[in-house]
Amino acid sequence: MDGRYDIAIIGTGPAGISAAITAKVRNKKFLLLGSAFLSDKVTKAHRIQNYPGLPDIPGAELAEKLQEHLRVMDIAITDCRVNMVYAMGSYYSLQIGQDFAEASSVILASGVSFGKMLPGEDENLGRGVSYCATCDAALYKGKEAVVVGYAPKEEADAVFLAELADKVTYIPVYGKEESGPVVSQRISENPKIDVKYTKPESIEKKDGKMVLHTGLGEMVSDGIFLLRESVAPDRLVPGLEVEDRHVKVDRKMATNLPGLFAAGDITGTPYQYVKAAGEGNTAALSAVSYVDVLSRGK
Amino acid sequence: MSVKQIGNAEFADAISSGITVVDFNATWCGPCRMLGPVLEELSEELEGKASFYAVDVDDNPELAQTYGIASIPYVAVFKDGQKVDEQIGFVPKPALSAFITRNL
Repeated sequence: MDGRYDIAIIGTGPAGISAAITAKVRNKKFLLLGSAFLSDKVTKAHRIQNYPGLPDIPGAELAEKLQEHLRVMDIAITDCRVNMVYAMGSYYSLQIGQDFAEASSVILASGVSFGKMLPGEDENLGRGVSYCATCDAALYKGKEAVVVGYAPKEEADAVFLAELADKVTYIPVYGKEESGPVVSQRISENPKIDVKYTKPESIEKKDGKMVLHTGLGEMVSDGIFLLRESVAPDRLVPGLEVEDRHVKVDRKMATNLPGLFAAGDITGTPYQYVKAAGEGNTAALSAVSYVDVLSRGK
Repeated sequence: MSVKQIGNAEFADAISSGITVVDFNATWCGPCRMLGPVLEELSEELEGKASFYAVDVDDNPELAQTYGIASIPYVAVFKDGQKVDEQIGFVPKPALSAFITRNL
């Protein structure tokens, strides 16, 4: 990834792939960010009956057709997870792990896999609830924190936090104690990390401390870190307008942020592959005109 | 006018009079790094109306403690030494501009 791209497409389901195909046809410099295996939602679908031209196709075969289309058009997928998208004014900055990529416009096509928030989570966000251990670790020197990890790779952040905090309670919600070792040795052998196998239920602030209610009872600490695989669209893109948990778009797939478009399930029902592909096409055409106007203005 | 990096020693004096915008951040915090240039631009646009400072919470934990900061980036607006408003997390420039302007 180098320089500034015209379009960054986030998501490798039918919406993202369709957008990438159109961006390629229109000869734009773009990034397709997502999974090399495209989308679980496609691959695991039993049979799809309403995709024009591909009657009664199993999900795995549709995924193979989509891969073939990318190959034929020489489109590469950058296999990564985008943590945040920042509206910088005249461009967007995408945080990918510790790296940043820049693009004039963005197409958000990352689906609706985001889970429900815990009761008490939203109102305490930034006030004792955090999604970013590497951001806020400095504020936990000599303090106690509870870290809820939704995937094994979040263990790294718990270890990082434990370097600064006095004590870290780590809840690996992805595993069960009975089914053998869940966490890696760097967690289980870390003297500052205490592992608890339970499910988080709700959050409240009490006497200046944060209380996480779990299946094992109350856990009191200075702060709670929720490290999820995917977050709600307005957390992924600060300032993005959502409606009923979906990104608000117009007929051109434009959002409230100039240059940011959305397509597919993330914009709302119906959750259909062919609708996603159509929206991806529209979003890409809108992004192309946006970029063209932007470059003419320079 | 640009955003001036300050620490504990200069803090009280810096916020003592007028409207002061303070960006509490840390070098390893991605959203903080993104918010930095946005605040730089706003410090130019609002020159004469507000003073802009940045505080590294890693180097100045006592200031973070004083203001009960639990997440960064954390932007606070001070009026004659008193904190009057706060904004937590990255926000696009128009929203940050509106946040500061409503406190002028």
